[in-house]
Amino acid sequence: MSTCRHRWSMCNLRAGYLVVEGCPECGARASFFTTEPVPPIDEYHEGKHWWIHLGSLQSVKFDLECGGCGTLVNLDDMNGLMLSACTDPECGVGALVRQQEPGSLIYVALCADSTHADGKCVSPEGIEALTQYFNQNLEGLGRSVVVVPCKLCNSIDKCRGTVIADVGLTDL
Amino acid sequence: MKISELAEKAGLRSINSCPDREVENVYISDMVSDIITTAKANSILVTLQTHKSLIAAANLVGVAMIVIVKGRAPAADVVDLATKTGIALFTSDLDTWSLARKLTQLGLE
Repeated sequence: MSTCRHRWSMCNLRAGYLVVEGCPECGARASFFTTEPVPPIDEYHEGKHWWIHLGSLQSVKFDLECGGCGTLVNLDDMNGLMLSACTDPECGVGALVRQQEPGSLIYVALCADSTHADGKCVSPEGIEALTQYFNQNLEGLGRSVVVVPCKLCNSIDKCRGTVIADVGLTDL
Repeated sequence: MKISELAEKAGLRSINSCPDREVENVYISDMVSDIITTAKANSILVTLQTHKSLIAAANLVGVAMIVIVKGRAPAADVVDLATKTGIALFTSDLDTWSLARKLTQLGLE
């Protein structure tokens, strides 16, 4: 086990598009990140799903590296971050939101597949590093954040929150 | 320089009520993907954006205050979120360049 008190910084920055797709058959949502100059809008079958393009948002992907010990945490499995405003008492994220003290906010790390059918989500190592990294920025401010994986959410497709992504000047 | 002193000297209008903090540097951007990767803690963020996503990103990097230029006004839920995160919101009738010049004249970089 590492004894390093990690000091994380962002690395491997990639600018691109977060493409969101939906399956009208089952209501599932999926997303992927692309660095193509024009994000794809193709519709296609994949297993039981019929994926339809729902939208594309300019976004950025990054990894985290510790300046102390050189540990690199790959965040390829994270497609975005959402500031949660969940109030659902049945939801694991909603329960955490209600437990937070003033100045502490919950951010949900979003993986590619909202159904989590294959059991995968953002890795525990990634969640821990993200939480440490963002709290580094908030040291001494009386504020903190907690990052949680989206599999903690009852239904990420219905979850209330603000996804961090680039928007136009007329977006509400 | 404290937020309150800067606001007075730069002629900024306050939108919410937040703790008076020291600000150390300035960052100008209208893209949240840029803000989350480049802005620094205790900074002044100058932007045209009024979207809630801006606050969600600025909070993660410890931005102290946001100045929205060209007199644009954020919606009530955006103001509420800024207050909840402790980020001071201001507006200025100046455009980005003119405000940047004014901040530079006040000794900020």
